[in-house]
Amino acid sequence: MSEVALQAPPLEAPAWTVRLRRGWTGRLDDLRLALDSLSSHKLRSGLTLLGIVIGVFTVVAMRALLTISGIAIGIMTVILIFMVQSGMSASFARQLSTLGPNTLFVHKWKWGVSGSDWWKYKNRPHVTMLDLRALQQNTTLPVAIAPLVNTLATVSHAGKDVKGVDVRGTTDGYLDATGWQIRRGRFITALDQEIGANACIIGADIEDAFFKGQEPLGQQVRVGPNMRCDIVGIFARKGNAFGQTQDLRVVLPLSSFIRTFGSKRGLVVAVVAPEGKVRETEGEVTAVMRNARHLAPDQEENFSVNRQDKLLEGFEQMMKATNITGILVGIITAIVAGIGIMNILLVSVKERTREIGIRRAVGARRATILWQFLCEAVMVALVGGAVGIALASGAASIIDLISPLPARVDPRVMLGGVIGSAVLGVGFGLWPALTAAMLQPVEALRYE
Amino acid sequence: MALIELEHIVKTYDLGLSKVPALRDIHARIERGEFVAIVGQSGSGKSTLMNIIGCLDVPTAGIYRLSGRDVSTLSDDQLADVRNLEIGFVFQSFQLLPRASALENVELPLVYRGVAKKERRDRAVEALATVGLEDRMKHKPAELSGGQRQRVAIARALVTQPSLLLADEPTGNLDSRTGEEIFHLFLDLHAGGNTIVLVTHEPKLAARCPRAVRLVDGLVIADGPGREVAAANAEALGAEALAQFQAAERAAQAGARP
Repeated sequence: MSEVALQAPPLEAPAWTVRLRRGWTGRLDDLRLALDSLSSHKLRSGLTLLGIVIGVFTVVAMRALLTISGIAIGIMTVILIFMVQSGMSASFARQLSTLGPNTLFVHKWKWGVSGSDWWKYKNRPHVTMLDLRALQQNTTLPVAIAPLVNTLATVSHAGKDVKGVDVRGTTDGYLDATGWQIRRGRFITALDQEIGANACIIGADIEDAFFKGQEPLGQQVRVGPNMRCDIVGIFARKGNAFGQTQDLRVVLPLSSFIRTFGSKRGLVVAVVAPEGKVRETEGEVTAVMRNARHLAPDQEENFSVNRQDKLLEGFEQMMKATNITGILVGIITAIVAGIGIMNILLVSVKERTREIGIRRAVGARRATILWQFLCEAVMVALVGGAVGIALASGAASIIDLISPLPARVDPRVMLGGVIGSAVLGVGFGLWPALTAAMLQPVEALRYE
Repeated sequence: MALIELEHIVKTYDLGLSKVPALRDIHARIERGEFVAIVGQSGSGKSTLMNIIGCLDVPTAGIYRLSGRDVSTLSDDQLADVRNLEIGFVFQSFQLLPRASALENVELPLVYRGVAKKERRDRAVEALATVGLEDRMKHKPAELSGGQRQRVAIARALVTQPSLLLADEPTGNLDSRTGEEIFHLFLDLHAGGNTIVLVTHEPKLAARCPRAVRLVDGLVIADGPGREVAAANAEALGAEALAQFQAAERAAQAGARP
């Protein structure tokens, strides 16, 4: 039995397969060898069958298949682009809603500005504690004012490190200014800020990392290289924004933050305007800031009062860019796939010239022939579109699984894909269908 | 009223630099119920004439009336309808759809006529039975012999109950025995009241038709009982006939260049 198996590899098999098989025979028992030879035979017959199947596959079918996959890839790409985009829009909108529409942000940088003005903003002075104090003391309208400063640092507890934690310094106005909520414990008080207390509020991810099944309140964590602070509160879980967790954070009193991480960072001051008085508040904030900066009336402002709608403008510009990309990709794939459809149809018309002649001879009108070939084009395109939509849906679930983007295929986009591929079929099938319809019956019947 | 009336039919093919006359001045009348052979050498214009009679093509000049209706001026769509309603074609190379079964091939003209599916099927089965193929209905053309394919084609021509059965060298691609069977089928169909125009280059076949029309260089040079026309080949034409032919040719040329 094993002798037979030894001779099993064909003569032209490379030497290494023979060696490999000899190696196996040394180790495997006869039964195993018999099974092995049987299954290799099965494989051989399977391969032969596959060869026949491919052989039977006509060239036209192959071309149709290639075109269908072309359309499928095109439709899938476009759907995915739109999907990612709508996912980003949705999460951006969620993110913006957490900022609150009435909040102004006093910052060195003007939001939503890119490129050429970079140096102008870079050279402005930072928003400092002095500016913050001026705003706190001299404005009357704001509901809440909170400075914001942040850095990424390592937080550790009981010998365990968590890197890349969003460490923020702020004051007691923070909750009102940002809409964050405390789940347990308390927030920073004015006293904490006054004395530079070693107190902190941790995000839900930090709690999960260090205190599984323990009470975090009253425990200590180390923030950055050398600051130890007591946990006085825990934030309610906020979830993801822009694909990143917002709960991997530690909030300190601004004074403690500056003591630990230095005062070179500029602040962002969040100012919450009362409902319906955003414009007045913006004017007051600007006036107070100009005053604090000792700007003459003819001098340009060296700070910016940002609103989230400005951020929205920048975001919309970005979206427009991806939109254009999506449309361009769509057009290019449409043209490529359309040319594919046109090609197989033109070949099909050539190959079936006699068929067209026969149909015309027994009474088919021109329009009937035109309709027949248009239907074929639309069918090919629709099959491609359906495969594309299926692929996109599959890809969407994968993206949803492995990436933070909330990916899903909008039914409207699916409908668009179906309509788009049908239009593609009609658009690029029209010319071949017309050539078929315009054939002279006599010529077509004579065609070899 | 004659089924087919051809008056001064001229067909000229425009090949750019030169104009080739295929039919020069054809006069003919074919009555309902006749069995007429159009006989001639290749290049005599018989295929062109068949295309015009079959409404696959239109004459350059002249009037062609089919059932009293002038079809030489009809639009492309109207011609398609006339082909569907009035004419049944039988071709030398069968011209069946290779991917369709015998039954589907026979149903095809009824599809374009808009006949309902059930009736279509019944009539196709009936037509196939007429040509003796009731047991081969589900077969594709490739699974049928040459003679059977031609029977399918004849069934397709008959299924619309056309005024005219137009056969172009129907025995040309068949061996002599099968060809004989098919010819007998035509004789039977004629006996059953069908009008048949058969285009052929074989004088022997023409000799067995009740009437034959002989074409030479786009002109009718003989028209009469099949046996007589077949016997009168070009050499056997008397001086009178030759003079007649030459006169007709001169007249046609004069007509072409007024």
